[in-house]
This record gives sequence, structure tokens and C-alpha cells, in this order.
Amino acid sequence: MIIPVRCFTCGKLVGDRWDEFSRRIKTGENAGDVLDSLGIKRYCCRRMLLSNVEIIDEVLRFYEEAEKRKEARNFY
Amino acid sequence: MKIEVLEKNDTNLRIIVKDADIPLMNAIRRLALAEVPCMAIEEVVMIENSSILQDEIIAHRLGLTPLKTDLASYNLPDECPCQSEFGCQQCRVTLTLDAEAKDATRTVYSGEIVSENPEIIPVSDTIPIVKLAKNQKLKLEAYARLGKGKVHAKWQPVSMCAYKYYPKITLPEEDCENCSKCADICSKRVFAVKDGKLSVRSLLDCTLCMDCVEACPKNPSPLKIEWEKNVFIMNIESTGALPPERVLKEAYKLLGKQLNEFEELIKAEQL
Repeated sequence: MIIPVRCFTCGKLVGDRWDEFSRRIKTGENAGDVLDSLGIKRYCCRRMLLSNVEIIDEVLRFYEEAEKRKEARNFY
Repeated sequence: MKIEVLEKNDTNLRIIVKDADIPLMNAIRRLALAEVPCMAIEEVVMIENSSILQDEIIAHRLGLTPLKTDLASYNLPDECPCQSEFGCQQCRVTLTLDAEAKDATRTVYSGEIVSENPEIIPVSDTIPIVKLAKNQKLKLEAYARLGKGKVHAKWQPVSMCAYKYYPKITLPEEDCENCSKCADICSKRVFAVKDGKLSVRSLLDCTLCMDCVEACPKNPSPLKIEWEKNVFIMNIESTGALPPERVLKEAYKLLGKQLNEFEELIKAEQL
């Protein structure tokens, strides 16, 4: 749904690196190099970021559309 | 006992401990994981939550957010003189979060949490708590308390606390064919081969896996991997709640305290 706050296995804080990670991945950087530079060493923590899909963004689209429709109704 | 610091920064501490033994090192490790207290949110009162995540999920995320801990000014709830279920100024910190998405979808970060004590705040300002679509609101009050890692992992001050033996590598003097198979198989790249000659590049990285000995075509292998029986490399990685050296000190203090309690019990029983 949303990036977990901590690594499931070891408990290292990983949630705070997500924004930078996803931004740099989008620019085409190599994921392994980004994780190295963020200081995430163990493979348990690396998979947290590597395998995360922000499904919350997909769900939020329904709410955004509903909001838009509501605004359109009020406009006319 | 002697201690030598290899690496030290805000979250990581790597030390060599000489003249120690396994029981002591393991006691310290277990105390750091399970007994050293730190602060975490334990109760959340939801005032308004129109986000798409359930109350419980948000509360869980808040609980896992590591908080900077001040051990000197707060008591563990069990040891606090107030003995109140709700807590008092000495055993509880109130944090509030009031977020609203006014114009567009946005992320609520841990930096928006307001604490009554400016010392007890999340260790990082950029942990996403929830995402709000336009006109969604999140308003809550959270109570943080000290706790121990054995009760819940959110109270663990360390994300890693491990020790290993200090490796001792004896390179073959003669009888070696210089095939460099041992250097190739090592996943930690402990060996370096220069002009066909084997040397040790990073001794401390060796995990004593013995892959190099098994890869050697000769049996028994002229390469010898051993370890010092009473020298350890200890690695402590803090979640940020407490500095790693503080975790180590607290673990030592707790060991002393527990042993004293044990001694008094023995005396009371007149054994």
C-alpha cells in the first residue's frame, strides 16, 4: 500500500529514504547504486525499497476523480 | 579487557573487544536488543481520520516511527512513581498530528508531528505516514512511552547488534600453486592477488565461511583460516533513538543491575 516505516526483518528505518529512492530511480539511475549511496547495506532492507509498489497512489486516483466530479457538479 | 574503535558515527559503531568471552558478548548483545529502553508511540487517539488508511494502520505506522529518546528525564511506566495507567509527565509524552490536504493530494510526513517535548521527536522528518487526497483530514493525539524490545520490536533501540570472532588468516608459504581459486571464490574479497602472489587485503571483512579453504585444490589446504578465541568485532547499528555508544553503556549498566539483583536474592535466601 505505502512504503513500510521499517524493514520487516531487522527493523532499520527505511521509510524516510523512499522519496529520494523513487525519485532517483525515475531518472534512470541503477537501483543498486542508489541503495549503496543511501547507506542501505543488508539485503533485507534493500528488498523493502526495491520491491515496494505504492498502491496507495492507484487507490487515491478514485478519490481524486470523485473530488473532480463533485467540483464539476458545483460549477454548473 | 581492551576496546578499540573501528568506526563511529551517529548510527553505527564498530569496535574490537579484546580479552572478552562469548557469554559476556552475548549478554551485551541480548541486553541491547531486548532490555535497553527507548521511546515509541504506544497509544493513539484518532480524532478525525478520513484518509484511505484505517486507524489501526496509521497507529501501527506511528508506533514504528523511531523517536529520539531522553532516558534521563523519563521513567519506564512500570517503575514510575505515578503508577497510573494513563501515565504522567515523567513517563509519557504527548504528540499531536493535524494534517489536511487543502488543494491537492499530498503526503503527510513525520516532520508534521508536534511533540509537547521538543527533544522527543521522530528521528527523521521524511517518513511518510499517510497520503491524503484533496479534502481528506487526519487529526490525532499520540502518547509515547518508554518500553523494552522484548515487549515489542518498536522499542528496540538497535536495528543490528552482532558480534563475530576476529579472523586469523595464515597464508601458505610454500606448497601453494598460486591458482588464486581462494581469492576468486571469496564473496567478501578478503584476498588480493598481485603478480601471482596471494595477500590479505581486508582481514576484518572475513566471515570465516571457509569457502576459500574448500576451493583449494589441495587437501589439506595450505591456507589456514582460524579465529582469535577471545577477540571479537562488535557492530551496533542504532535506529537513531539512542546513539549506539549510549546503547552499549546502557546494556552494560543493565547487566550490572541484573547481577546485583540476583546477588541480593541469593543473600536473602541464605544459600
